[in-house]
Amino acid sequence: MSTPSASTATIHQVEVPQPKQHGKPGGIMRHLNFFTGLIGGVVLALVFGFLMNIQFPSGALTANFANAAAGPTFWAMMVGWVIGFMGGMGAFTGPIRWLFGRDLTHADAEFMAGKDQGKFRYWRFTTDHKVVGIQYLIVAMIILGFGGLLAMLIRTELGFTWMEVFNPDFYNSLVGTHGIAMVIAMIVVVSGPVGNFIVPLMCGARDMAFPRLNALSIWLLVCAVPPLILSLLVGGIRDGWSVYQPLNSQAGPGMIGYQTTIIVFAVSTALASVNIMTTILTMRAKGMTWARTPILIYGSFAAAAMGLYAFPFYMYSQILSMTDRLINTSFFNPIEGGSVWLYENLFWLLGHPEVYVILIPSMAVMMELIPVFMRKPLFSYYMAIAGIVGVVGLSGLVWAHHMYMTGWAPQANYPFMLSTEMISIPVGFLVLVVIGTMWRGTFWSRLPMMAVFAVIFNKMIGGVTGVYLSDVPADQYFHGNMFVTAHFHYMLMGAGLFGAMGAVAYYFPKMTGRYLDERTGSIGFWTAFAGFQITFMSMFVAGLQGQPRRVLQFDNMFNISNWISTIGAYIIGIGMLIFLSAIISSWRSGQVAPSNPWHAQTLDWQTATPVPLENFPVLPVVTKLPYDYGVPDPLAPQTLEKQYDEKVGAPT
Amino acid sequence: MADTLIPAEEPEAPTNRPPAMHRLREWLQRRYVRHILIITVVVGFLLLPLGWLMLAAMNQSGGPASSIMEDIQQTILVFTIVSIPITSFVFAVLLYSLFGWKGKSGEEPPNNDNPAIRTNAVAVITWTAASSILAGFLVVWGLIELADITADSYGTQSITGQPRADNALVVNVTGQQWVWTFEYPQYDKVATDVLYLPKDRPVLFNVTSVDVIHNFWAVELGIKIDANPGAITQTGATPNKEGIFNVRCAELCGLHHAYMETEIRVMPQENFENFMRENGGGQTR
Repeated sequence: MSTPSASTATIHQVEVPQPKQHGKPGGIMRHLNFFTGLIGGVVLALVFGFLMNIQFPSGALTANFANAAAGPTFWAMMVGWVIGFMGGMGAFTGPIRWLFGRDLTHADAEFMAGKDQGKFRYWRFTTDHKVVGIQYLIVAMIILGFGGLLAMLIRTELGFTWMEVFNPDFYNSLVGTHGIAMVIAMIVVVSGPVGNFIVPLMCGARDMAFPRLNALSIWLLVCAVPPLILSLLVGGIRDGWSVYQPLNSQAGPGMIGYQTTIIVFAVSTALASVNIMTTILTMRAKGMTWARTPILIYGSFAAAAMGLYAFPFYMYSQILSMTDRLINTSFFNPIEGGSVWLYENLFWLLGHPEVYVILIPSMAVMMELIPVFMRKPLFSYYMAIAGIVGVVGLSGLVWAHHMYMTGWAPQANYPFMLSTEMISIPVGFLVLVVIGTMWRGTFWSRLPMMAVFAVIFNKMIGGVTGVYLSDVPADQYFHGNMFVTAHFHYMLMGAGLFGAMGAVAYYFPKMTGRYLDERTGSIGFWTAFAGFQITFMSMFVAGLQGQPRRVLQFDNMFNISNWISTIGAYIIGIGMLIFLSAIISSWRSGQVAPSNPWHAQTLDWQTATPVPLENFPVLPVVTKLPYDYGVPDPLAPQTLEKQYDEKVGAPT
Repeated sequence: MADTLIPAEEPEAPTNRPPAMHRLREWLQRRYVRHILIITVVVGFLLLPLGWLMLAAMNQSGGPASSIMEDIQQTILVFTIVSIPITSFVFAVLLYSLFGWKGKSGEEPPNNDNPAIRTNAVAVITWTAASSILAGFLVVWGLIELADITADSYGTQSITGQPRADNALVVNVTGQQWVWTFEYPQYDKVATDVLYLPKDRPVLFNVTSVDVIHNFWAVELGIKIDANPGAITQTGATPNKEGIFNVRCAELCGLHHAYMETEIRVMPQENFENFMRENGGGQTR
C-alpha cells in the first residue's frame, strides 16, 4: 500500500513532498562516526605514505621520521589522513548521494540532525547547530589543555635558569607548537561555541543557514588537530608560530604537519565564517532589524567577516611554503630569487586581523552579559556598534606594524604607525560602553559578571602596552622582546581567555541545563587571574630589561623576573585545573538550571532547556532591543515640556 | 484666510533646564562622582612612578649609550604619563563599581531598580574627543620622534647607501647561525666577533645574513634591524658613552638562537684606532 505519507512529510504544519526513501533514514550515515573516521584516516594515511615511499624511498615508514628526506612520505600521509578521516566521518556522503540522484528525505535530514541518538550524536557528522556548538567547545578545551601543558613546559625550562631542561631543538618545538595551538584554540573558543550554539538561538532561527557545512567545519577542525600534535614527534615546529622563511625550510617533516593543520583549519574557518555570516544576514527573526540586533550578533558577524578575508593569506603562505619545501619552488627562498618579506607580509595579513577575531567575540559576550548582570540597558548601543565596525575597518590596515624592524619598507612605518594608533579609538569605544553600563548600577555578583571586571582590567593593561608597541621608536626597543610576549598574552589570554571563561559560565545553563558551580568556578577563575598577573607582569619586567623572545637561556640579570614568572605560570595551571574540574563536575551533576536562569531578555534564553531540535516551535517576533532593564533615571536633568509663559500667549 | 496660511510663530519653549555650568557643578557635587575622581587621582599618582621604574629596568645593563636610545626612553616615559589619566579613570570606575556601588549575590537577580541610562551625549562626546586627542597626540609625537631617530640612524647614510658624514665609520654586520661577524671595510676589512666602536663617531651598519633571518639588536644603542638573507638593511647610531654593551639576536633563528649574542665595546677614538692597527687594519683614508 503506497500511502501518501510515504511521499510527503509534515514540516512545521506544512505538507512537503518528499523524494523516495532508500533504506532506513540516514542511510550509510548510520554507520559512520568519529571512530570510522579515525580508522579511515589512519588506514589511508598508511596507504598513501606507503605508495609515496615506493616512489621516493626515505625509510620514513620504518625508521627515522624526523629525517628531512621523509618529507614527501609525510606529506602523502597527511593528505591520506585528511581524505580518509573526512571520508570516514561521512563528509563526502552528501555529494556522492547526489551523484546517484538521491536527495535527502525529511527523515534523513532529521537523522543527520541527531534526532533520537542520545549522546552518540556528538561523535557523528551531526548537523544540529547545538551539537556543533558543544563539539567546538570540547575541541577548543582540548587544544587549550594541550597548549597549556606546553606553556608549563616552556616556563619550567625558563625557570631552571641554571640548566637546559630540554634540548634547544625540543624547546623551540614547544614554543612554536604552544603558539599555534593556542592561536587556533583562542580563535574557536568563543566564536565556535557561541557562534554556533548561541547565535542562531539569539537570531530566533531554527538552525544555521548551512547545517551540513556547519558539521563540515567542526570536523575539519578536529581533522586539523592530530597533525599539529603529532608534529612534535617528527621534528616539531621549531620556528615559532610564525614559522618565518627560510628558517622553516630547515625544520624536519613536522613542518608539513603544521602546514596541513593551517590549510585545513583555514578551510574550516572560511566555512564557519560564511555560515555564521549568512545566518545572521538572512535568518534573524521577524522584526529584528539592525537597530534591534543584540551586540553579540554584531560581534560574531565582525569576527566571521575578519576571518573570512584574513585566513586566505595564511593559507596561501602555507601552500607556497609547502611547494617550496616539496617541489623546490622558490617563492620565499632568497637564494633563488624569492622574498622573505613576501612571506612576512602574507603571514601578518592574517596575523593582525586574527587578534581581533579572538578579541571581538570575547568583548561582545562581555557587552552582552553586562546589561543582564547590571540590570541596566547597554550604555550607548550605537557606540558599541561603531566600535566593532571601526575595529573591523582598521583591522586590515595595520599588519605591517609587526614588520617595523624588518627593513622591508622603512617609509611604510609612518602610515602603519598612524593606522595602528588610530585603532585605539574604536577599541576605546568598547571600554566606554562597558564602564558606562557599570555607571551607577548595582551588579548581580555572579561569576560571569566578575569576568567582566577581570577582562576590562587586563584589556586596559594590554591596550596601554600596545600603544608602546604601535610606536616605531619604542618598538625599536620592544620588538622581538619579552615585552611583546607579555603584551599579547594580556590581550589574547587576559582579555580573550578570561572572557571565554566568563562566556562559558554565562552560557553553561543554556548549553548543559545546569549551573556552573559558582564556588569552585570562582576559585579557579581568580587563582588563574592572580597567577596570570604574576606571570606576565614579571614578563613585562624581563622585556624592559631586554630579554629577547623565544630563548631558552639568558643573562643572569633576567633570572629573578623569570623565576617569578614561572611560579605565576604554575599558579595559572592550578587555577585552570580547578576551573576545568568545576566544568566537568557541573556538567555531570551540577545544580539544574531553569531555562532562563539569568532573567535575560535575548531570544536565546526564551527557549526551553535543553533546547529542542529546531529550537522554536513558533518563530519569535522581535519588537524592541533586548536590553530593557532598569527604571527611569531619577537623576536625569528635569525638563518640563511645553510650559508656556501665559504672557507670550500659548496656543490653547 | 491669509492668517491661517501663515503659521503662528511658535514661542521658544522655556524650560527650567538649568544652564550647563550649573549642571556640571551639580554633577561634581554628587558623592560617587567625587569619589571616582579622588580614586582616579590616587590611582594615577600610584601609577606615575611606573614611568621611571620602566626606564630603570631598561637601564639596568648600562644604557642609554646613544641619542637614539635616549629618544626611545623619552618616548616611553611620555607615553606612560599620557596614558595614566585614562587608565586610572577606568580602574577607578571598576573599583567604585566593586566597592562603592557594590554587588548583590544570590540565586535571583537583585531588584530591577538601576537607572536605565541608555546613553549620554556628554559622556560619549567627551570620551570620543579625549581618546581622539590622546591618539592624535601619540601619533604626532611618534611621527616626530621617528623622524628624529631616523635622522640619527639613517642620517649617517645618503641615498646611495654611502655614509653621509665625512667621518662615519662603516661596519658590515653579518649574521649566521649563530654568530655575528663585524667587518670594518675602512680598516682593511678587519673582522671581529665583538663589535668595537669609537665614541662620538657616527656608525653606519650594513646588515645582512648568510642563512636565515636574524635580528641585529644593539640593545643599549637602541637600534634594531633584521638581518635578511639576500638583502642589505641599513641602520646607524652614534655611541655617546664608553663601556661594554650587548648585541642580541631578536629573531628566532634556530637551534642556538639564545646564544647568538655578543658584546659592544665602545672606546675613545684613539684606542679604537690603536686597536684596529694592532689587528692589521691601518687606516687607509
